[in-house]
Amino acid sequence: MARLPLLRLCSLALRQLLRDARAGELRVLFFALLVAVAASTAIGYFGARLNGAMLLRATEFLGADLLLQGSSPARPEQLQAGMDLDLGHARVVEFSSVVAGDTGIQLSSIKAVDGAYPLRGELKSAAQPYGAEVRGGGPAPGEAWVEPRLLVALNLKIGDNIDVGSKSLRMTRVLTYEPDRAGDFYSLTPRVLINLADLEATGVVQPGSRVSYRELWSGTPEALASYRNTIKPGLEANQRLQDSRDGNRQIGGALGKAERYLNMASLVAVLLSGVAVALSANRFASRRFDASALLRCLGLSRRQALLLFSLQLAMLGLLASLSGALLGWLAQLGLFYLLGGLLPNVVPAGGLLPAIAGIGTGLVALTGFALPPLAALGRVPPLRVLRRDLLPVPPSTWLVYGAALLALALIMWRLSLDLVLTFTLLGGGLIAALILGGLLLFGLQSLRRLLAGASLPWRLGLGQLLRHPLAAAGQSLAFGLILLSMALIALLRGELLDTWQNQLPKDAPNYFALNILPAEKDSFAERLKDFSALGAPLYPVIPGRLTHINDEPVRHIVSKDSSGDRAIQRDLSLTWAAELPPGNTLLAGTWWNAQAQDSLPGVSVEAKVAESLKLKLGDRMIFSVGGMDREVRVTSLRTVNWDNFQPNFFMIFEPGTLKDLPTTYLTSFYLAPGHDLQVVELSRAFPAVTILQVEALLEQLRSILAQVTLAVEYVLLFVLAAGLAVLFSGLQATLDERIQQGALLRALGAERRLLVKTRRIEFGLLGAASGLLAALGCELISLALYHYAFDLTWSPHPWLLALPVVGAVLVGGAGIFGTRRALNATPLTVLREG
Amino acid sequence: MGASILIARNLSKVVPSAEGELTILHRLSLELRQGDSLAIVGASGSGKSTLLGLLAGLDLPSAGSVTLAGQDLGSLDEDQRARVRAEHVGFVFQSFQLLDSLNALENVMLPLELDGRKDAREHARSLLERVGLGQRLSHSPRQLSGGEQQRVAIARAFAAEPAVLFADEPTGNLDSHTGERISDLLFELNQERGTTLVLVTHDERLAQRCRRLIRLDAGHLVMPLEA
Repeated sequence: MARLPLLRLCSLALRQLLRDARAGELRVLFFALLVAVAASTAIGYFGARLNGAMLLRATEFLGADLLLQGSSPARPEQLQAGMDLDLGHARVVEFSSVVAGDTGIQLSSIKAVDGAYPLRGELKSAAQPYGAEVRGGGPAPGEAWVEPRLLVALNLKIGDNIDVGSKSLRMTRVLTYEPDRAGDFYSLTPRVLINLADLEATGVVQPGSRVSYRELWSGTPEALASYRNTIKPGLEANQRLQDSRDGNRQIGGALGKAERYLNMASLVAVLLSGVAVALSANRFASRRFDASALLRCLGLSRRQALLLFSLQLAMLGLLASLSGALLGWLAQLGLFYLLGGLLPNVVPAGGLLPAIAGIGTGLVALTGFALPPLAALGRVPPLRVLRRDLLPVPPSTWLVYGAALLALALIMWRLSLDLVLTFTLLGGGLIAALILGGLLLFGLQSLRRLLAGASLPWRLGLGQLLRHPLAAAGQSLAFGLILLSMALIALLRGELLDTWQNQLPKDAPNYFALNILPAEKDSFAERLKDFSALGAPLYPVIPGRLTHINDEPVRHIVSKDSSGDRAIQRDLSLTWAAELPPGNTLLAGTWWNAQAQDSLPGVSVEAKVAESLKLKLGDRMIFSVGGMDREVRVTSLRTVNWDNFQPNFFMIFEPGTLKDLPTTYLTSFYLAPGHDLQVVELSRAFPAVTILQVEALLEQLRSILAQVTLAVEYVLLFVLAAGLAVLFSGLQATLDERIQQGALLRALGAERRLLVKTRRIEFGLLGAASGLLAALGCELISLALYHYAFDLTWSPHPWLLALPVVGAVLVGGAGIFGTRRALNATPLTVLREG
Repeated sequence: MGASILIARNLSKVVPSAEGELTILHRLSLELRQGDSLAIVGASGSGKSTLLGLLAGLDLPSAGSVTLAGQDLGSLDEDQRARVRAEHVGFVFQSFQLLDSLNALENVMLPLELDGRKDAREHARSLLERVGLGQRLSHSPRQLSGGEQQRVAIARAFAAEPAVLFADEPTGNLDSHTGERISDLLFELNQERGTTLVLVTHDERLAQRCRRLIRLDAGHLVMPLEA
């Protein structure tokens, strides 16, 4: 057998693989790879398709080629510049307002459009909810096109009238699609599309109202570039230009975070499956030492022997990876289903790339984790046929850890993870694992001593755990962490909002009223009093944008994604007050009356925002307010109780400083449930006022949170599967021993019941320990979160005590399944060994 | 000599193989009385271990019957046979077969506990003292030498006061000096407790210490039982 052609080697490998297919370790290896590939493929598809949707929005779904957007109307010369270049033009004005029907009100997102809208793409509408879609057109004056959920919320049908502000409009069609809304992930409020000609009659938009003005442009690239260059220097602080390239660069906050967690979860799944791959590949190798030695004796070269076994693993890996990719593709469909309402309706398919990358992940994991044990196979000395105690020289430590680390690095790079976060978590996890593992070991040992006098199945079960204490502690930790993450997410989803809501004072305001005009301020307050609604004071509000701190542009000062960044990315609600509002506490500096004389007016800044903007007492800030720059000096820092549902502000100006600017007023009030008609009355009387229902907002928040956490938990199922793969591969390693033990116990007269009981105790204990660990960890983390992050009163969660039971059932079931061969071992086995 | 404790009638064992059916044991009968000792000898593959497995109820014959302590093993299911083994049978194996997860004392307690005995601990301790391991009670099997492990195994085999003790190459894994002492111990206890002893061995000297001897050749009995 001097030379063996590759083809013959391949067919030999295939035949051996088919013969070995019944061997447990190959099945576990297959399962582990399947999980790793499915997890990374599913997440890959999720990310790719989400990005695809974003890109679609950016290119096709602006409704225009170029967009000039601002919180104030575009200046005449900005419009003229476009007309001069012969650009196509349409105008959109968008704002939130209460829409009133006969029986109730619904906060809606109103969009007033002219006849030219949209410049790119088409509207789609239907005559009745879920009726046939028709392309094109737009609402004529006096008409409103509405989303079906508005009809549901107000219990109206097409043909009925609604009031937007003081204008009554007839609902003529159901709006099913807007080209420029595809990427609007937070469609919290239903859309009402009206004609721009009706806008003024509504009386909703007044100076100082929160409104988004959009000028849509279309034209040749040259003309657009020229337009861009013309108006760019004169842009207001509240204006920005958007084209396909500037499109929505970041995914909405919650989704972006969810994607990150999903990525993390899939990494953990890949890591755990990697451990399972390593364990089962190791067993694959060690069980083939004899075969390898024999083949070498029969004349196979070292290289050929190695190749033969590598081919076997490669075939298995390819098969598992292909199946895993298919499974992952199916799984991401589920993920998109779960996130349904939050995502655009049209999501591109995602192509083959994520599947190929997923398969790559599987093969890299197989190579990285299985190569070292496999390499040992090539080095089995042929003499082993005579002396079975001869083992191959162990592979160098560098090779073992190097290959595994390389595989890991490749996979992390592939998932393009936040490396700092990943390493922090992995490092923290490792340290926690070492400490907890030590505690677990100690616990098991003391349990052993404690149970010295316990009954036989208990001693047998515990004894088996203590035979491989490290494996037991490791498995218990792994399952503990998996159960912990699942429980923690469930806990946060289910309880956080409720806890917060329950801790609010009974008469905490349940409505916010925005955009109260100065002229209506007193009569609005009067009307509230008539309803005996408990109101907070009315605070003046002026939108303004922070542009400079100590003459330096703020963009240079704050880091991306910080809360400071969010504070400068949008208009802040500025106010002034003579007295420190209730719920505010001064931390540093002084309130106005004790103020030193200064040429600049003073401002009081909320402490957390001040921290993220790196503001100190005495710093100067410039705000762009109503198109003018206002310079102020920081004279005090204060903390704010955000949970009291009173109007709260980041920036409070010295009285008098903003008086000359268009102002609206803001307040919150409490109205006992069942007074909807009064709210309708209020909104009819004050058409410009936006009334927000806190409960409805919370309900929406809760449903988004529920969807996102459901998606994360769904992916955690992969992690759970990976954990099971680790358990199974660990069990495989002890299976021979267990079969022998089972056979012996049977020979000595033990009934099957005893064996089953022993296994139940062993794996049940393991799972219960995991559950206990998870419950304790979950309580500790929730205690810390409630106390430090959310400032809520913590109380214990008795339902977490179910975790040890869940763990015991889960691990117990899996353990008995994984060792069922040992239960059925015939007692005759003891005579054959020898 | 007491009543018959172990009766085998026309035992055959046939297993399927690639070349058709393979007969491992061929119509074999024997009868042992309480306190008897029997050695089964023969070349490798002659069917010794198969016969031992059938006699002890670890396996069922293709034809024929085994009656152990008055019970027809063929009419019992595996759990019922396990019950019979727990009550009437002890084992000593070539590779000792101690449970690594239990210490020496617990290994000896095992059959007593399977039998539901309350005094398992005391009884096991006295047995270990009898085989000279009174100082090794809490050692795990891995901390004991081969001879010591086999002593534990013998203590375990006698613990439940079995009617029949089956020993499969009990000295096979031991050096000749240690093997000698182990077989001394085995026969001493056999005499002391009036146990019936069935042992499979290659060791002619050990076989000669038994009152009766059969030799197997390819599943056939070539040397009949002697009275």
